[in-house]
Amino acid sequence: MVTGLAVRSAFGTGAGALLPPALAGTPAFAPVTRFGTAAYRTNVAATMPGAPDLTDELVAAVGAACADATPAAGWAGVPLLLAAHADRRNRTVAAEVAARTGLGAVPRTYTAACVAGSTALADAAGQISRGELDRVVVAAGYLVDPDTFALFDAGRALARDNQARPFSAGRSGLLLGDGVAAVVLESAAAAAGRGAPVRARLAGWGRAGDAYHVCQPRPDGAGLARAIGSALQRAGVLPADVGYVNANGTGTPFSDAAETAALHTVFGPDASSVPVSSTKSVHGHALEASGLLEFALTVLALGAGRLPVNAGYLGPDPNCALAVVVEARAATPRYALSLNAAFGGANTALLVAAP
Amino acid sequence: MTAPAARRPTVPSGLRVLARAVWPATDGDALPPIAGFIVSSFNPLVAEVAERCLRERYAAPPAPPARAESTAVVLASVRGDTATATAVADALRAGRRVPPLLFFQSNPNAVLGHITARWGLAGPVVCTSPGGDALADGLAVARLLLADGDATEVLVIAAELADDSDRDGATALLVGPAGPGTAPDEPDEPR
Repeated sequence: MVTGLAVRSAFGTGAGALLPPALAGTPAFAPVTRFGTAAYRTNVAATMPGAPDLTDELVAAVGAACADATPAAGWAGVPLLLAAHADRRNRTVAAEVAARTGLGAVPRTYTAACVAGSTALADAAGQISRGELDRVVVAAGYLVDPDTFALFDAGRALARDNQARPFSAGRSGLLLGDGVAAVVLESAAAAAGRGAPVRARLAGWGRAGDAYHVCQPRPDGAGLARAIGSALQRAGVLPADVGYVNANGTGTPFSDAAETAALHTVFGPDASSVPVSSTKSVHGHALEASGLLEFALTVLALGAGRLPVNAGYLGPDPNCALAVVVEARAATPRYALSLNAAFGGANTALLVAAP
Repeated sequence: MTAPAARRPTVPSGLRVLARAVWPATDGDALPPIAGFIVSSFNPLVAEVAERCLRERYAAPPAPPARAESTAVVLASVRGDTATATAVADALRAGRRVPPLLFFQSNPNAVLGHITARWGLAGPVVCTSPGGDALADGLAVARLLLADGDATEVLVIAAELADDSDRDGATALLVGPAGPGTAPDEPDEPR
């Protein structure tokens, strides 16, 4: 059960700042002022004002998520899982976040690139489902930094036209965005025992690899399709029960096409009618935090009874034959998928059930 | 700091070691380069110890598809690829362009893509910065993956680049669930 969550992004702090623009498809991309970008092909990202500190942001998000998980619970000793970029300072950051939030020690920081946050959440859910833990807090953070920006520019991964356009004709790459999220996950018994309102249920999760390439996805999306299948099977849910997909959708030409292939494998002919959008089109690609931020936003959208709009869409691409959500619309799906894929052929699928 | 290769790990209950490898195995051990990876010895280190471990089990790539389909890979490293991070920072500080090849090798998943593609390992791919001992935490993550059912075997790699007081070191263990009557550290099939 998801009993608490917190999000921080270029739109500001909290669900109230992020959800409306996501539902309207209003992106936060603007020229980067945090560092110089004159040497690069792209000069925009979705960034918070100033120069936020990752440790401070994680502490704030964890505190807000715990506060959201009312009524008050005892947080001392509750395990905390983190997701962030692989960095020699991770152990120090983890220790400081644990100390300042009063939660338990952090066993590890997940660093598996764009599936780091979703992998941490899957591990937390598995431990809760097996009765090993009653409650886990998962937090993830990425803040746009000069090193990563330079690397993504060098790799020609950033959108040349300064606009993320997942699944659209004319898409040319991704755009980076600050993202920090924290989620409180509890067993149904623990949540009921303290009378906690449930925001949503993590009904299923799946992980699978491509065994294909260092940095490119399998063109047929087979690994991602197996991850989705695993999530659905774990939940005992049929593809036809899924009413929305928050896609990985980076806006990268071959990656979006591979994801489309995966969705066609899973949904068959229904792939052309299941609503799909990528919220990266509004908040940017938050890399190691993307899986958790997008999961949280999927939970918020289900709660609001509306679907996030895929911003930047110019028109259909024959390699992305999907029902892309391009206009604001109400919907009350029972189940939604939040998908992520990463370098090394790592794929994750999280199945969210409306409360 | 003790290099991961220098000690024999404690394997948690519920796991059985199917194959193992260390780097360096001898004082004169050398790391073969990997095409497309530059600057840092981190990725060759991870690839080589994984290669030795998988050859111990399967002799040559690819692994048998029935096993490989659900074999996960976990890479645990406390400090990570400090050499690549330093190379990027140095380039920016000097006003030079960052070499494009550093784009993908700047995250630890990339070398796992090299290993999984070569051996056909199609289970989950996980990378961590552990709060404690890297190999112990890698094995803890392996236990979670096996218990969760998304993997039936897990290649666990713990790797650290040298700091001021040691040399590069890595350990790889291929583990599966312990069967009835099986000792935790007992290979189950001929290699």
